[in-house]
Parts: sequence; structure tokens; C-alpha cells
Amino acid sequence: MNSLKKRDIYVSFSVLAIMLVLPLFIGQSRYLLSVLMNCAGLSVIALGVWLIFSIGRGYIGQAGFALIGGYTTGILLTRYNLSYWVVLPLSALSAAFFGALIGSFILKLRGIYFSMLTISLTEAIRLAFLNGGSFTQGSKGITGLPQPFSGDSPLPMYYLGLALLAFALLLIWRVHYSRVGRIFRAMRLNEDLAESFGTDVWRYRVMAFAIACGLGGLGGSYFTVFIQSVYPQSFTVEHSIYYMLYCFLGGLEYVSGAIVGAFVLTILFELLREFQQYQTLIYGVLMISVILLLPNGLMALGSSKSEGSKKALPPIGGADTTPGKADAKPMIGRSS
Amino acid sequence: MLQVLINGALLGAVYALIALGLTMVFSIMRVVNFAHGQMYMLGGFVVYYLYGQYGLPFYLALPAAGIVLGLIGVAFNRFFFQPVLATSTREENSMLMAVGTALLLENLALTLFGEKQRGVPEVVEGIFIWGDVAEGGVVLTYSNMLVMGVAVLAIVALLGFVQYTRPGRALRAVAQDKEAACLQGVDVKTTTTLGFAIGAALAGIAGGLLVTIYGVNAGVGSNISTKAFIMVMIGGAGVTKGAILGGLLLGFAEAIGYDIFPGSVTYLIIFVAMIIFLLFKPNGMFGKPWG
Amino acid sequence: MSTSILEARNITKRFGGLTANEDVNLLLAGEAGQVVSVIGPNGAGKSTLFKMLSGFLKPSSGSVLLYGQEITGMAPHRIARLGLVRTFQETTIFPDLTAMEHVSLAHQLHRQANDLEVVLRMPRARADEAALSASAAEILELMELSPVADVAARHLPQGYLRLLGIGMGLATRPRVLLLDEPYAGLNPEETNRAVMITRKIANSGISVLLVEHDMKAVMAISDFIHVLYFGKKIAEGTPEEIRNNPKVIEAYLGQEDKELGL
Repeated sequence: MNSLKKRDIYVSFSVLAIMLVLPLFIGQSRYLLSVLMNCAGLSVIALGVWLIFSIGRGYIGQAGFALIGGYTTGILLTRYNLSYWVVLPLSALSAAFFGALIGSFILKLRGIYFSMLTISLTEAIRLAFLNGGSFTQGSKGITGLPQPFSGDSPLPMYYLGLALLAFALLLIWRVHYSRVGRIFRAMRLNEDLAESFGTDVWRYRVMAFAIACGLGGLGGSYFTVFIQSVYPQSFTVEHSIYYMLYCFLGGLEYVSGAIVGAFVLTILFELLREFQQYQTLIYGVLMISVILLLPNGLMALGSSKSEGSKKALPPIGGADTTPGKADAKPMIGRSS
Repeated sequence: MLQVLINGALLGAVYALIALGLTMVFSIMRVVNFAHGQMYMLGGFVVYYLYGQYGLPFYLALPAAGIVLGLIGVAFNRFFFQPVLATSTREENSMLMAVGTALLLENLALTLFGEKQRGVPEVVEGIFIWGDVAEGGVVLTYSNMLVMGVAVLAIVALLGFVQYTRPGRALRAVAQDKEAACLQGVDVKTTTTLGFAIGAALAGIAGGLLVTIYGVNAGVGSNISTKAFIMVMIGGAGVTKGAILGGLLLGFAEAIGYDIFPGSVTYLIIFVAMIIFLLFKPNGMFGKPWG
Repeated sequence: MSTSILEARNITKRFGGLTANEDVNLLLAGEAGQVVSVIGPNGAGKSTLFKMLSGFLKPSSGSVLLYGQEITGMAPHRIARLGLVRTFQETTIFPDLTAMEHVSLAHQLHRQANDLEVVLRMPRARADEAALSASAAEILELMELSPVADVAARHLPQGYLRLLGIGMGLATRPRVLLLDEPYAGLNPEETNRAVMITRKIANSGISVLLVEHDMKAVMAISDFIHVLYFGKKIAEGTPEEIRNNPKVIEAYLGQEDKELGL
């Protein structure tokens, strides 16, 4: 196991473990719990964005799919009175479905075209809900959603957030650290090469996009029941941009990068509350500083690219190889 | 209908100016400047303060918006983009920096100017009426005429500059091939800075022009950036004629759409049409494929 | 009567007004396990031809047949599935993965488990990993890369990477392997070794088609040679025939004899 993966494991487990026990200490503070719930939900959504970066696309459209998940939840809960435990997976699936559908067309775009197009897509999806007539209730949105848990304690919602985060992390982890994840990376580094050894890149791109959008829908659904309402303005271009920033600032080489980015930036923003009207300005300055000082993200902090096993090279064609007998050409020995 | 077309031409001219700025930065640096809309917004505020609040004449306030934004462009390039481009391990890093500067400018504007919508008094009073308005006549304020005229003038001046002056030729050389330009003795670093400054200044001038019609607020940036992306994608990133064509197309589409459809349906249709268009022309009308 | 392995019939490629290839015919026939080369000066349209054969470019006209089956315009991954696989000049795809992992990754076509099983680490996925690393070890052995099996690609010099690229092509178990300038940029010693390995691959029953600049290597390895010049085929034949073909000599006039390997 390489050092990159080790670091990834440590950080992922630490975040989950701390989240698990933290209510013992801060269980009385609704504010602190809600900040952490925010972090967990944002992480779920950002993990999807991270996966699209891992196949080599700069993806800035995730808010649109969070909105699809949110509206699926809102509509199913209010119109069909379904249980939230049915609605939650359905919300993820509907976002994944639309993701696969849209992705199968737009994923052939690359580079900045894909990035700019997905920004526009966020806005298009928002406008579609805004103009959805009585079905989506326009700018009024869908409000007064029932809570999934009875009782006054925020803890069930908190642990639901943690469970979703654990699920999303496990999913992306399994994908990334399997053969499928290697194919994704191969596609990022050289799509033609991946295709030359028989990879159906189109299928894998759509698959990655469906997973990513599904996580967007999952997080969108969580936020929707969390604030018990969903509006066209619930997830906008700005949100899409922030999800992307979480991945960047956390570190694109690590699965946990998306989570670290979401937690650190969200908590940082809350800490800056003291500065009142200067909060957003200081936040912006700090963000630029991180980009300048840590271009590879927070997770890369203190790790250098050159570490790892730099073995001396054994000579090519060692003693254990035997030349083909039918060789017509004279063999040229080599011992350097 | 004629009225709609004139509105379209007016919007199209200013939009082309916005798109030209974005495409200029892209062609020189291969960076999509996400802060372009925020630069537009700052241009609007410069004119709002100098002309609207302090009573400076408009013909001074507008160039001032261009100069202020040009200087911001120089500073951003020097302190933010060059370091990132020099050290980044992934090409997405420059995009990250562009997004970061966009947020920084927007937060700065929110802190300094607040969220309120601001407007300025009319630059020239008077109105031009042609025919009977009730029966399809045309109404055009002198102020709007001025905006359109200045936008067209700025575009022509830019094209002339790029085509016929020495720094303009250097810009084209760098846009075409950085290494070859370097071999020909072009000062790539200075030229890049100049390109970024011109791009930012164009956004500032566009903002300074449109503040006289629509006013400005601190949150308008990402909306303008999104529009600029549409124009650049339609025309092809980094291509001058593509930016102009994209700007005109979007201007007319918006004017015609708002005339026919209620509210935000226009942009929904524009987005869907653009996505379908890009499926057939992934690099826009004139664009080359970029990695 | 010989069987047709790979055949290009009158393929032409135009880019706008430029014609990169015009009416090129190419036939790889007879016994499997031959080495056939396509040569020609720079700009002769070799790589365009190559891309059309492997599906990365669609010919403007003409057709490509693999074992008699029409594959013109098919997606590269489907052509790879049918047994025609190309390699690339740049081979490092993951600086951090070892040579072994690269080859094992390229085995992608021959795993039994589907993607869901892989992600869930079901038994079939684990069985795949075991079987494929055994097979990868065999390929590394053939490529004489066993000693560096566990070295990360970023530590490997150019010569090894080139062999690794060919190894990745082999991992797909092709019937026909297209090698894109396999000897370019290698020193003479590395070239000799790579030539020898190419012959070993051919001897294992895989037909090899290669595009190459290094005339000396081409003359040494090829059973048959096609010569392209400004997009058209001007000659074909055994190395001996090509060496003495006046058209070829004329086409290469101005180049040093040494380069020609004459």
C-alpha cells in the first residue's frame, strides 16, 4: 500500500470517528450540530464532483443534480405521502438517471468546454424548476415538508448525515481503489490509450457521471428535509462552484480530499462569523492564500512527491530471462 | 418587431465586448477567467461612483473604469495567475485560481458596496421616436444609442489595435504559439500581462456602459460570467470573430426571447439550444479543440 | 491461397483540402506471426494510416477488414475486442503504478467480473485479480521486464517504458498488434533488444504491423514492407526488394545512406 492511500485511510477514518463521538461533547448545541450536518451533506455532494475530476473532467454542475434530488424529495413527500426512507433512495436514483441521460450527451466535451457547459447546466436545471408550473410551484418552492424523525432532538438527523457520508465515502472509495478506479485514472491521463486496450470509455464516463449525480441527489435530498423546503434558489451556480472548490482545496489525489475541503471551508466560514461584515472578505482572502500556497490541496500538506521507493534499477533482461530460441537476430548482451 | 431587433443589436454590441475580453484572456493564457463577470461588476461600480456619485463627466468615468480594471488585471496576473501557472501540477489549477479570484472580488464588492442595486442618471437626455409606437414604431433613448455606439467603437478600436500595431501583433503571435513567439523575439511575459489587462479592461468598460441602462449590484458577476461562457462556447474559445458572433447571437436571442416568452423561459431555451448546438459542434463555430 | 489477416482496401483520408492518404491498399495475409512494416519519410501519412486501421480516425473512403470482417469506422475499443490492438509512443499512464500494475490494468478485456462485482469485491473479482496478475507476470517475462515488475513507472527509463507499452498491448491478447514507432528515441542497444522482443512476439503467433523510422531496425525485423510517400503507396515487398527498389531510393534521396540502412 502506498503512502498516498495510507494517508487517505487515516484521514477518512478520523473524520468518521470524530463525527461519531462528537455529540457526546457538543450534543447540547444545536448550532454546532447543524454546522457538522452541513459539512456532512456538502461532503456527500462534493464526493460526486471529486469522482468526475478523477476521470479528467472539470465538473461545475453538481448543484443542478442536488436540486433534482431535492425536488424529487419535495414532490414525493408532499404529493404521494411516501415514507422518507423510500424517498431518499429514489431521490438519488432520479438524479443518477438524469445524470446518465444528460451525461451520455455532454461527456464527449472536454476541458474548459465541459466546465463551462456544466455551469450553464446548473442554471438550466434551476430555470427548469423555476418554470415548472404547479408541479414545482415556481419560485415559491415546496415548503412545509414533514421531518423524517419525530421528537425534538437533532441527533437522528445528525446521524443520518453521518450515515450518508459513510455510505458516499465507502462507495467512492471502493470505486477509486478498484480496477474501475484505475480505468478512470487511465481515462484522465490518456483516453486514447485507455480505449486502445479495449476500454469502452463512453460507458465508464456515463457510469461515473451517474454515480456522481446520484450522490448530488442524495445530498440534495438530505438538505431538503433538513430545512424542510426546497426552492429553485436552494442550489445555484455558486453552490456548484463551492463543491468544486472543496475538492480542489482538499486535494484531488485523495478520496478524502473532497471531505476535508468541505469540512475545513465550512467550519472556517463559521469561525469567521465574529468578523461580521468582513466575514466573506476574509474568507475570500484565505481561500486565495490556500490556492497560492497549497496548489495541490490541504491533503498534500507535508507530503512530497519524491518520497516513496526509489529503488536502484535492476539491469534490463536479468538472469531470469531466456532469449527466444527462434531468434534469427544476434543477441546483444547488456549489463549496464 | 423592429424595436426588438434594435434592442438585440444594442445588447449584442455590449455582449460582444464582454465576450471579446474573455476570449482574449483565454487565447493568451488558456485560462477561463471566471472573474470576468465580477470585473464587469466592478466596472459598473467605478462608473457608478465617479459619474453617479461624484459627478465626474461620463466620458472620463468610462475610461477610468477601463483603466482601473486593467490595473486589477495586471495585478491579478502578476500575483495570482503567474505563480500558479508556474508551479501547478495539474492544468485545472489555473481554473481554480480564476474561481478563487472571482469569489474574492465578489466578497470584496459585497463588503465595500453592500447588496443594494445601484443606478446612475441618464448620460444624455432625450429620446428618439420613429413612427407610431402603438403600430410598431421604434423608441430609442439617446442614452442607449450612446451605449451601442461606444461599444461598437471599442470593438473596432480593439480589432484595429490587434491587427495593426506592434503589441497587437505580439498578442496574436502569443495566442497562436507561445514558443514560436518567444523565438521571434516577442516578450511573452509582458505580452501576456497586456492581454490579461486588455481582457479585464474590456469587462470594465462593458460594465461601465451597461450600468447606465441596467444599474449594477455586487451579485451580478456570476450571471454575466455565465452569459460570457455561452457566447464564447458558441463562437469557439479564443477566436475573435467567434466572440463577436456569439455576442450578437446571444443579444438578439435574449431580446427576441424576452419579447415572446414570459420571464426566465428565454434563458432556459437558450441553454437547451446551446447544449444541443455543442453536441454537434463541440468546439463552437470557429473553435479548435483544446485539451 | 492465403488467409487475409488485416486488409485495407483503397483507404483515403482527407483533412479539409489536404489528402493524408490516397487509395492505400495494404494486405497482411498468410501465416499468423509475420512482422510487416510501413515506412516512409516524415509526412508520408504513416500515422494517419495507423489511426485509420485501429479506429482512431474514420477513413474518408475505403474499408478496413480484420479476418474478413469489416471494421471500418468502428470504435477503437470494439476493434480491440476483435483482436486488433495498437500501442502508443507515450506509454507512462500512471507515474505511480508499477510495471506489473500497468500490464494487469491493460488486461481489462479479460476479466470475468462485471464492474459492480469489482466495486463490491465479490469473489469473481478477486479471482480475476489473481489470474490476471499471473498472466501479467508472464507478459513481463516475455518483455524481459520481470526484474522491474515492481518499480513505479516514473522511475523507469524510456527504453523500459517503450517495452512496457508493448506489454500493455499484449495484455489484451491481440491477434494483430500495431506498434507505433516502437524504436524511436531508443539507443542502439535498446533498439536491438526491442527488435528481438518484437520477433519473439511474432513467433508466439501474433501478427505484428509496425510503423517505424529506424530503417536499419525495419530491414532487420520485417518479413514484408510497405512504403508510403506523400500519402500514396509507392512500393511493397521483402526487405531485399525494397532495398533495391529505385522508387524507394529516389523517395529517400537526400537522406544519408546510414539512415537508410543500405
